[in-house]
Amino acid sequence: MRDRLQQVARALRLMLGLPDYEAYCAHQRRHHPDAAPMDRGAFVRMCQERRFGSGGPTRCC
Amino acid sequence: MRLITRIGWIAVAMLGTAAFAVLALRRGETVSAAWLVIAALCTFAIAYRFYSRFIAHRVLGLDERRPTPAVRHDDGLDYVPTHRVVLFGHHFAAIAGAGPLVGPVLAAQMGYLPGTLWILVGVVFAGAVQDFVVLFLSMRRDGRSLGEMVRAEMGPAAGMIALIGLSLIVVILLAVLALVVVKALAESPWATFTVIATLPIAVLMGLYGRFIRPGRVGEMSVLGLVLLMLALVYGRVVAESPALAPLFTFDGRALAVMLIGYGFVAAVLPVWFLLAPRDYLSTFLKIGTIAALAVGILVVLPDLRMPGLTQFVDGTGPVFKGTLFPFLFITVACGAVSGFHALVSSGTTPKMLATEADARAIGYGAMLMEAAVAIMALTAACVLEPGLYFAMNSPAATIGHSAPEAAQAISSWGFAITPDAITGAAREVGEQTIQSRVGGAPTLAVGMAKILSDMAGGRSLAAFWYHFAILFEALFILTTIDAGTRVCRFMIQDLLGVFAPGLRRTESWGANVLATGLAVAGWGYFLYQGVIDPLGGINTLWPLFGIANQMLAAIALTLCTVVLFRMKRERYAWVTAVPTVWLLICTLSAGWLKAFSADPAIGFLAHARKFGDAIAAGTVLAPAHSLGEMQRIVFNDHLNAALCCAFMAVVVAIAVIGVVGIRRALTNPRATTCEAPEIPAMAEAAGHA
Repeated sequence: MRDRLQQVARALRLMLGLPDYEAYCAHQRRHHPDAAPMDRGAFVRMCQERRFGSGGPTRCC
Repeated sequence: MRLITRIGWIAVAMLGTAAFAVLALRRGETVSAAWLVIAALCTFAIAYRFYSRFIAHRVLGLDERRPTPAVRHDDGLDYVPTHRVVLFGHHFAAIAGAGPLVGPVLAAQMGYLPGTLWILVGVVFAGAVQDFVVLFLSMRRDGRSLGEMVRAEMGPAAGMIALIGLSLIVVILLAVLALVVVKALAESPWATFTVIATLPIAVLMGLYGRFIRPGRVGEMSVLGLVLLMLALVYGRVVAESPALAPLFTFDGRALAVMLIGYGFVAAVLPVWFLLAPRDYLSTFLKIGTIAALAVGILVVLPDLRMPGLTQFVDGTGPVFKGTLFPFLFITVACGAVSGFHALVSSGTTPKMLATEADARAIGYGAMLMEAAVAIMALTAACVLEPGLYFAMNSPAATIGHSAPEAAQAISSWGFAITPDAITGAAREVGEQTIQSRVGGAPTLAVGMAKILSDMAGGRSLAAFWYHFAILFEALFILTTIDAGTRVCRFMIQDLLGVFAPGLRRTESWGANVLATGLAVAGWGYFLYQGVIDPLGGINTLWPLFGIANQMLAAIALTLCTVVLFRMKRERYAWVTAVPTVWLLICTLSAGWLKAFSADPAIGFLAHARKFGDAIAAGTVLAPAHSLGEMQRIVFNDHLNAALCCAFMAVVVAIAVIGVVGIRRALTNPRATTCEAPEIPAMAEAAGHA
């Protein structure tokens, strides 16, 4: 049940263009153990910057 | 296939056929929307099960064992293998916009049948195919964008042409969407108040997520949604208060100027402050509204009052001019086939596919869902009394300004309606007037209010539902305008950077303001032109947008076809070649007619000639009031005709480059695509071992 809810939350966040913070932390721990990962606030801000940055349209009409 | 499954699918096919027969053959009496729902669902089921499977296995050769970009480049951020249900939501949220809600409403002037058939046939054979194949191509190329793929597979010239086409589309798209908002908010204090209220609410959310609880998106969204609903309820008090209502009552011109100023400010501000929080509100509202409408239609199963076909298939309709072919096929773009989806399908989604097989459910499946949204919008428009539909969607220049004039004009077309019915409908949704509210959004809102209040709350809640629907569309479109203006700004900075490298620096304040100003001026010009156009503006801008959007789809499908030839899969190239040719025929003939038709109601140049001749003779033609206005009309006609020609030139150039590419691929005995190498992950693993 808990997993199910987390899955829903993950889906909703991804609809907003926010990747999974836990997956990011896990990746950082595995591949860059010596660098401190961004905190949640910085992570979200970076994702917002990228979503509305110069990458081209992120949505349809 | 087992016998029992086979029998099941035959039953689905027969049920769908029966539903189509009812829709097509019933004359002179209303048809239940249930038949529309059944026809659509059976079509989607069969198309997904059989056609998308054929494309996945035979045409593209999806290989479940081949590692996707997400697996190969897993970086915990962009490239993350994602569960396909989660990714489906992401992709659908990105492709579902205001387009599928507006186009089908406009197309309803020809009756429910032409729009329905084009949405269903279009999505199965063109729209979903385009989304799926582009997603596949991008997936096989490490998630490259459409522009990069066009450059790699068709050459730098094609890439450049596609980029120019893209920036033109963005400008027209923003203008037409802004016009839809202006038409929905004009003279409506309730709607204007709630939309203005979203600004402080979004800023509050932004501050909350920045300083109070950093990064807690869920909490700030709940906070924002609660405040938004309170604003919506309070809007009624504002509208009914003699002191407050005038503060939020604006005409179209004032709203257009405010919107242009707002677009500039919103695009210059940091994104966490306004843009991102409002994007969150609009995304949740969008998903909620679509779900509510779907449930409403399924529960209420309303009757379609609009006839299957109206006399306006001959091109004389008040909503937009032009015959069924080609204009229906550019009016309904999103929902049937939309070039914009090619940008989304080559954006973030391909980088997150966990396996190649998922591309089918996400590429093809999500587009079927978008078509379902378009069908719902069409249903909402067609449950209205046809007389009311035409009262809302005909420009004042056609039906006059008062309810009696409108009722007389519309009844003379054969759609009986009384003046009381028009004013009564406005009162029911809490508005002063709903006459000539062109642009699709108000019509959809009235239809939704009817369906949802039939489901829950009765007539007393109709006004609430109407403004809920208007808020949803306005909020959604405003977010697109902010985001689109930023996109445009970066494109302009890139372009200007060629001449003055300093202007490319995105952190430079001066370059930022200059490029944003240019972007806003671009769509703002077309918006203002549309607002002062006595024929409603939608008449002019929506066909331009439709042509542009289908042009982008033609570019994307041409790319798909060229790549199929380069993959040496020319046996199956018809899967993308047939829709490409169809779109070329539609965009070119529509573009040609809009520019060069001898009928001033359709052709921009004929219209310019008519007004030019009048200027020479010194007479002022209605709807203009002065010779100065006449001159502006002539100038705008020439500008619009030039845009049509530019769109046609882009399409023709890409088609020619495509044919050259196909011939070259045919003479080469080997496959020549630029796919990422087949199994680097395994090679890497072997190397490590």
